Amino acid sequence: MIGRELGQRDGYRVVELYIGPQHPASGHMRLVVYLDGDIIVRVDPDIGYVHRTMEKLSEIREYVRVISLIERMTIIDSCNITLPFVEAVEKLLGIEAPPRAKYLRTILCEINRISSHLYGLGIGGIFLNHSTMFMWGFGDREVFVHLASLLTGARLTHTYNIFGGVRRDLPQGFKDEFLKAKRYMLRKLKDYDKMFFNNPVIRGRLENVGVLPKDKAIAYGITGPNLRASGVRYDARLLGYAAYSELDFEPVVGKYGDGLERVWVRLREIEMSLDLIEQALKQLPDGPIFHERYAKMVPPAMKKWFEKGRVKLPGGYVRLRPRKGEIFSRGEMGHGEVTYYLVSDGGMMPYRLRIVTPSARNAIMFSILPPGNTLMDLPAIYGSMDYFPPEADR
Amino acid sequence: MTNKEERDNHRPSINPVLAHLEAIATGIKWLTRKPMTLMYPDMEEKKPEYFRGFIIFNYNKCIGCSLCAQICPPRAIHMYRVPGDKRIRPGYDAGRCIHCGLCTDICPTDALDVSPVHDEVFEQIGSMDFDPVEWHIISKKLVEEHAKRKRKLVITRVDEEVGLRYEPVE
Amino acid sequence: MVLVELAKILHVPVWALRGFLAPLVYPGLAVLLGTVLFLIWAERKMAARVQQRVGPYYVSPKLHGALQLIADGARFALQEIIVHIETDRLMFILGPILTFTFLTLPFTVLPGGPGIYGFRSDFSMVIVYALLTLSPITVILMGWASSNKFAMIGGGREALLTVSGEITLALAMLSVAAMYGTLDFVTAVEKQMHTGIIGLVSNPIAALLFFLAMLLLTDRVPFDIVLGEQEIVQGPYTEYSGVLYALTMAIDYVKLYALSLAFTLLFLGGWAPFTTPLLGAISVYIKSLIVMLFSVFLRAVYGRMKLDQAMNFFWARLFPLGFVALALGVFVHVIYA
Ligand code: SF4
Ligand code: SF4
Repeated sequence: MIGRELGQRDGYRVVELYIGPQHPASGHMRLVVYLDGDIIVRVDPDIGYVHRTMEKLSEIREYVRVISLIERMTIIDSCNITLPFVEAVEKLLGIEAPPRAKYLRTILCEINRISSHLYGLGIGGIFLNHSTMFMWGFGDREVFVHLASLLTGARLTHTYNIFGGVRRDLPQGFKDEFLKAKRYMLRKLKDYDKMFFNNPVIRGRLENVGVLPKDKAIAYGITGPNLRASGVRYDARLLGYAAYSELDFEPVVGKYGDGLERVWVRLREIEMSLDLIEQALKQLPDGPIFHERYAKMVPPAMKKWFEKGRVKLPGGYVRLRPRKGEIFSRGEMGHGEVTYYLVSDGGMMPYRLRIVTPSARNAIMFSILPPGNTLMDLPAIYGSMDYFPPEADR
Repeated sequence: MTNKEERDNHRPSINPVLAHLEAIATGIKWLTRKPMTLMYPDMEEKKPEYFRGFIIFNYNKCIGCSLCAQICPPRAIHMYRVPGDKRIRPGYDAGRCIHCGLCTDICPTDALDVSPVHDEVFEQIGSMDFDPVEWHIISKKLVEEHAKRKRKLVITRVDEEVGLRYEPVE
Repeated sequence: MVLVELAKILHVPVWALRGFLAPLVYPGLAVLLGTVLFLIWAERKMAARVQQRVGPYYVSPKLHGALQLIADGARFALQEIIVHIETDRLMFILGPILTFTFLTLPFTVLPGGPGIYGFRSDFSMVIVYALLTLSPITVILMGWASSNKFAMIGGGREALLTVSGEITLALAMLSVAAMYGTLDFVTAVEKQMHTGIIGLVSNPIAALLFFLAMLLLTDRVPFDIVLGEQEIVQGPYTEYSGVLYALTMAIDYVKLYALSLAFTLLFLGGWAPFTTPLLGAISVYIKSLIVMLFSVFLRAVYGRMKLDQAMNFFWARLFPLGFVALALGVFVHVIYA
C-alpha cells in the first residue's frame, strides 16, 4: 500500500500529496505537493477551479454593467477592484469625477482595504490553527463592513464607483462612527500584536518561513503587501489616482520578506488606512458627487434625489460610448496591484478588457516559496500570502 | 502613522516567557468582554438608509421606458407585455438580482425603489420570477409584512470597547 | 461504609464491587462521559467568548447551548460509518474501539477520592502510565489501516510526538515518585496531606513538565500537531465517520481527563483538605476540572506549534529540565525524611 505511493521525481524518492480542492485549507484550488520525508520538494499550484471568464463576459456587457460584473472577482474588496476600470473608462469618455467623489472613492477604497487585510489576517490565523485570530479578523472586519454599508447601502458588492462619480453621498453621522471604529481598531491592533504577532508559537511558525528575497520578488513580479514585505517600496497608490495625490502617506515597507513580515505589513497597513480615511474625511471638499454632464441629463423630477445624497442616472447612461482607443490603468487593492487594459472600438461594450489581478500574479509564490520547507510550513506560507483564489481565476 | 525609525526595528525579539504570559492574559481579558454577535433570527438589524434589498415596483408610476431592463447587469429584469396594457412593463427575477440598485437609480419616475427586505424566503425557484403585476403585488406585500415583523429591531452602532453593539429601536 | 453495605446486599466481595464501580461510575465511564460533554461545551463557549462570539446556542437557548453536544452525538450515532474499500477493515474498525477501551482502563487504579478506587496497588502510577502508553500504538495502527496519505502522515506524527511526550511525562512522574518515595497515588496524596505542601509548590518544575506533556499527549493546542487540520485534515482519524469518528474525537478528552486526575493527585494535593469520601471525591473532581478547563482554554490563545520546534522544545529544553526536576525531587525527599 505504501510502496505504491513512493515514486521518483527529480532524483528524489517522493510522496505525492494532493491538497485540495476538498481540503480544510486549500481554498478553491489544488496544491500538488511532492514530499521527501517531511520536506517539500516541489509544489504545483493547480488553479482555475473558479474560473468564470470575466474578460469574455465583459465583452458582451455595456460599460456600466461591467462594473458590477468585475467586482465579483473580489467581492471582499469590490471598491478597489472597480476603481481603476472606472477611471479608465472615464478617461476614454473625457470626463473626470468631481473632487468630492474622488475623496469618497478613496474613503471606501481604504475601508475595503482594511476589511480585505482583516480577512487575510483571519485566514492566515486559521491556517496556523489560531482560531482567535480568525474570529477576530472576521469579527472586526464586520465593523468596517458596517461602515461600508452605511456609506453605500450594501455590505460587500457596493457598485459604488460609477463613471462620473459615486452613487451616494456621505451619510450623516458617518464621521463619528468612523472615529469610534478607528479608536477601537487601534486598540485592538495592540491585542493582535500580543495574541498573534508576538505570540511565541506564531513567531515560530512564521519567522524565516517562506522567505522571499527582494530580487526574487521583483523578478517574479510579486505584488502588493507581499512585495513590500520584501523591501520594495512600490505601491500603486503612489501614482496618485483618486484622491491619493492629495493625501499624505508613506507605504509600509518591510525588510525580511518572510511570513512574519508579510503579516506585519498588513497589520501596519491597517493603521495607515485608518489614518488615510481620517485625513480624507478631514479634507473632504464640498460639491457635487456626480459629473455635470450626466447630472444635467437627469429628468427634472428626479433632481430632488441629488439633494438627498443619492445619484440618479440619466437614460443615456446605459449607452455610453467611450471614444475609440486603448487605455491601461492600475490601482492598489488589498492583495496588490490590479491592472486593466481596455480596448474600446467606440461601441457600447468593451472590445477587449484584459484584467491582471494581484492574486493571479502572486500565485507563482506557491511554486517558489515552499520547496525546502516542511509540510507544516505550507499552510503558514499560504496564510501569510493572503491569496484569494476567485480573484486569481477571475 | 508610525514613523520611520519605529518601522525599521519593528520586529523586536520577544521574551518567550513574558510573551506567553501576555498572550494568556489577553485571552483572559477578552474572556470577560461581551460578544459582538447579532442574534439574527431573534433580533433584526434596522438597515441603514437606502439599503439595497428586494427591489420594489410600483406599477402605477411606471412609464414603460425599459431603462431598468437595459441597465440590469445580470438581466434580472425583463420587459413583459401585459394584457390590456399598451406599454411593456418590467418583470423581475429575484433569483437573478444582485441587488446592485442600478435599476432604481435609472428609473425616471421612481417606479422602482430599494427596500430593506433582504431575507424573504421563496420555497421554489419558479416562485421567484415575477411578471409585472405579480411584482407589484409582492412588493406591496413584502413592505407591509416587513413593517409588521415582531422581531426585536436593533440598530447597529460602532462601539469603542467591543466593536459593534446593537441598540434597540422603538 | 456504603460500599460494604452494598456488597453485603448484593452478596459480592467488596473488592469486586470496587473493581466494578471505579472504572464504570466514578472516576470511570459515567462521570467521564458527562465530563467530556461538559468539557467540549465549555471549550467552545470559552473560545467563543474570547473571540467575541456566542458559541453553541440555538440547540437549547435556555441552557446556552449545553445540549449541542448531545445533538452532535445523536447525529454521529445516526450517520453511516463509511469504511472505504482500501482500508484494512478489521484494524480500521477495531482501532477507535480498542483505543477507547485502553483509555478507560487506568480508572481501575486511579483513585477518585479517599477510598474510591478499583484496586489499590503499590505501583499504581506505573500502571496508569503503562496503560496510557498503549493508546498511541492503536492510533498509529489506525493511521496505517486508513490507507490514506494524510492519515499515514498523522500516524507518523503521533509516533514521533508520543515518544517525546511520554519521556517527559515519565520523568515528571519519576521525580514525584522520588519526592514522595512511593509509586502509589494514594500514598502520594497522603504524603502531601501529611506535610501540608502540595506537589505544585514542592516541585514546580515537575508540575510544569507534567502539564506540558499532558497537553502534547492529548493533542491540545498548541501541540495538536497530530490532528493538524490545515495540513493533514484530521491526522490518523481522517477517514472515520459516524460513531467511530465520535470515538476518535473522545480519545483525546478521555486521556485529558485521566491525566488531569493524575495531575490533581500528584501536584494539587488530591482530596486535600477533605478526608471523607464524598467531599474528597468532589474536591478531586473540581480540581481536575479546573486543570482541564485551563488546558482547553489555551485553544483560544495559541496556534499550532511547528512539528520540529515542538520536538526541539521537548527534547532540548524539557528533557534536561526533567533531570533537574528529578534532582529536585530527590532533594525534597531528603528534606521530608
Ligand atoms: S438591483 Fe441590480 S440586479 Fe437587481 S434588478 Fe435592479 S439592476 Fe437588476
Ligand atoms: S425604468 Fe422605471 S419607468 Fe422605466 S420601465 Fe423600468 S420601472 Fe418602468
